[in-house]
Amino acid sequence: MDVSRDSTESAPMSEARPDPQTDPQTQSGFTAPTVAASGSAQGSTTRDRGVGTVELKQLNAYYGSTHAVRGVDLAFESDKVTAIIGPSGCGKSTLVRCINRMHEEIDGARADGQVVLDGLDLYDSRIDIVAVRRAVGMVFQKPNPFPTMSVFDNVVSGLRLTGASRGDIDDRGREALVGAGLWEEVKDRLKAPGVGLSGGQQQRLCIARALAVEPEVLLMDEPCSALDPVATLKIEELIGELKQRVTIVIVTHNMQQAARVADTTVFMLDGELIEVGPTDKLFTTPDDSRTEQYVTGKFG
Amino acid sequence: MATGTRTQYQEELERLEASALDGLNLVSAALQRTLEAVEHQDVELAQIVVADDDRIDGRYLEVHQSLITLLATQSPVATDLRLISALLHVLKNVERMGDQCVNICKVIPLTGNEPPADLEMVALIMGMGKQTRTLIGQAKRAFAERDVEMARDLVRQDDFVDDLNRDCFRLAIEIGDDADKREWAMTMLLAARAIERIADNAVDIGEQVAFVVTGLFREFEDASHPTT
Repeated sequence: MDVSRDSTESAPMSEARPDPQTDPQTQSGFTAPTVAASGSAQGSTTRDRGVGTVELKQLNAYYGSTHAVRGVDLAFESDKVTAIIGPSGCGKSTLVRCINRMHEEIDGARADGQVVLDGLDLYDSRIDIVAVRRAVGMVFQKPNPFPTMSVFDNVVSGLRLTGASRGDIDDRGREALVGAGLWEEVKDRLKAPGVGLSGGQQQRLCIARALAVEPEVLLMDEPCSALDPVATLKIEELIGELKQRVTIVIVTHNMQQAARVADTTVFMLDGELIEVGPTDKLFTTPDDSRTEQYVTGKFG
Repeated sequence: MATGTRTQYQEELERLEASALDGLNLVSAALQRTLEAVEHQDVELAQIVVADDDRIDGRYLEVHQSLITLLATQSPVATDLRLISALLHVLKNVERMGDQCVNICKVIPLTGNEPPADLEMVALIMGMGKQTRTLIGQAKRAFAERDVEMARDLVRQDDFVDDLNRDCFRLAIEIGDDADKREWAMTMLLAARAIERIADNAVDIGEQVAFVVTGLFREFEDASHPTT
């Protein structure tokens, strides 16, 4: 990934690397991999091991005087699906919104600490927020295709902003639809309005739109809560297929969904990280009594 | 945060645990009758034990079905999931213990109407039965109280049963050449063996106690890899 401020307009992302003379991460010997170094994300089914690793270091998030995320240290591993569970208001959505710096878009909201993606601190003052959002895609609770755009235009809307060539856009748009498991269903209606698709298809369209710009991380905030069980299962299967090419962090209220899709599960309570571990362990023998109480439904 | 959620589910799980563990009371009562039938060669009492095993089987089926329903409808996890898994094992143990009582009672008519050929052997079997009933009670209490140490102690208690079983075997070998006596002794050995298995089932329940508490399943004693 390259999210340095100067690179997004003029130089292709793959050619721009952090300046070893000035970048604190590279000075410490860490070189951030670029998109090119990881291969064409949608064209290949896997990427280099370790690319797309996210580390939160003493992350705090606030809404005015409300301390919503409290000193969280956490790593999201590459090629893994991490689920974040916890009762309403525990800070799980706020936490993921810090990863692509969307949290600060809300009036009075701020965050401190570090979000480190492949060695780069996304909260570094030299970081370009647009590039952060490209590297860290997001899918929301309710499908939100652009209402005036066709199916295909929805998918490539982000790509067009990058100045990609028409041929490149066509190829990568198709690859994104294939990657989102939607191509076979929409290949004959690419020009039809995106909002004409079913709810589940619209959500996969949003996933395709996020994938088209080849992110390294995909954040999913309750991606299935507005979908029926069949559409939910399709998304869950898709998550399993996508994890080899993009690091996935999913926020869910549905603990069975976390149990089904996640390799690692994180339990949060009152803004704090209570427990993180392999999903099977968290759902069979959690270490913390608060985790135990929450997953067994004794509070929530 | 709200507390006290899923009350009906928790109450149902508690009810099912109590019902499964009460199955051990049924087994203990069946074993007591079985021992009386052996001691007095009481064929009628033996028939009652055989008929009454339907109650134990019924308990097994009823609680098993209710636990499956809980699994299907409540998606239990963590301690609840371990408890349900353990209860399914306990139920199977209860059902097997009941069947061992039936096995003993079915061979009692084979001992005929003559007085017991060897009173010492009868005493040994009574001792095994008494000790096994102690194990059953201790297994139930260890489970209800989630007491791993009490559960582990079942192994020590089971050793007494095993020793008595070996003594029975020795007596059977030494019982002499009389064909009727030998047949009687062989029948008693079957009874001793069945009681020894009931005690083993009690130890198995103890292993489930450890699983519920720790999340780890370890056999207290590995019969295929004995340490001594």
